Amino acid sequence: MEELILELKQEIIAVLNLEEVAPTDIADDAPLFGEGLGLDSIDALELIVLMEKNYGIKLKDPAQGREIFKSIRVMAEYIYANRTK
Amino acid sequence: MPLLVRKYCHIANREVRVNGEAFPVAESDGDGKFLTSLYRSLKIDYPKFFKMDSLSKLGFLASELILRDENPRFAPREDLAVICFNRSASLATDALHQAAIQREDSCYASPSVFVYTLPSIVTGEIAIRNKFFGETSFYVCEERSAQQIFRTVRHAFHDKATRAVLAAWVECGGETLEALMALVDTECQAGIPLEEFLRGANIA
Repeated sequence: MEELILELKQEIIAVLNLEEVAPTDIADDAPLFGEGLGLDSIDALELIVLMEKNYGIKLKDPAQGREIFKSIRVMAEYIYANRTK
Repeated sequence: MPLLVRKYCHIANREVRVNGEAFPVAESDGDGKFLTSLYRSLKIDYPKFFKMDSLSKLGFLASELILRDENPRFAPREDLAVICFNRSASLATDALHQAAIQREDSCYASPSVFVYTLPSIVTGEIAIRNKFFGETSFYVCEERSAQQIFRTVRHAFHDKATRAVLAAWVECGGETLEALMALVDTECQAGIPLEEFLRGANIA
């Protein structure tokens, strides 16, 4: 799980162009939206694409994202349980 | 009503000038890195910059060069319009988007690329950063015409609410990376008449 969490942090930094952020700056349990990384709605769409492209997970209901993208750890746990690649 | 250029900047060929004076930027490789280098030289803390496409970065940085010494800096303004012009619209980003959706093995559009497939986004980025609530518009022109720019900016002042215009030619396509931006004011005491400025900037 720790390996997946690190991988996810690196992918998020790359895909969201978080140039000033290092993986160690992202706390595993910190909120991704609002406070924490301060991501916006376009970032949410980008994370949905990332889940499908890299892990074969297609979110049928975008509202699911609200739960799944709560923190890196929650996201990693969801990917671990549902990945198809 | 005289239209006077109170302040201006020019970014081209990896050189930056503000009111004709060189603005130092650290050495960099490539146009993308040059824009990041200019961002760092300006000592701005605005992480959204890194999410912008090159056209928006270019327009954003030009506006920062002009507005950084304004006092007050971020007071909301309803009397300031942002009007930009160029020839190739958002072509560079359009090409990135097209390349992403044409890949046969992995066809995924990137939402963060897609949102920049409209050139007018640059005017929005500037307005959001500075809390400008006046007109924003972007004109895609066949030619770089001083007359057209002059007429369009002058027309903006027909709206009685408008007292200043941030006007720019912002081009980012192929190997061209150029921004010429001017703060046009009707109430400043001194400045260069806009027509004279556009002639001096070698705009046809």
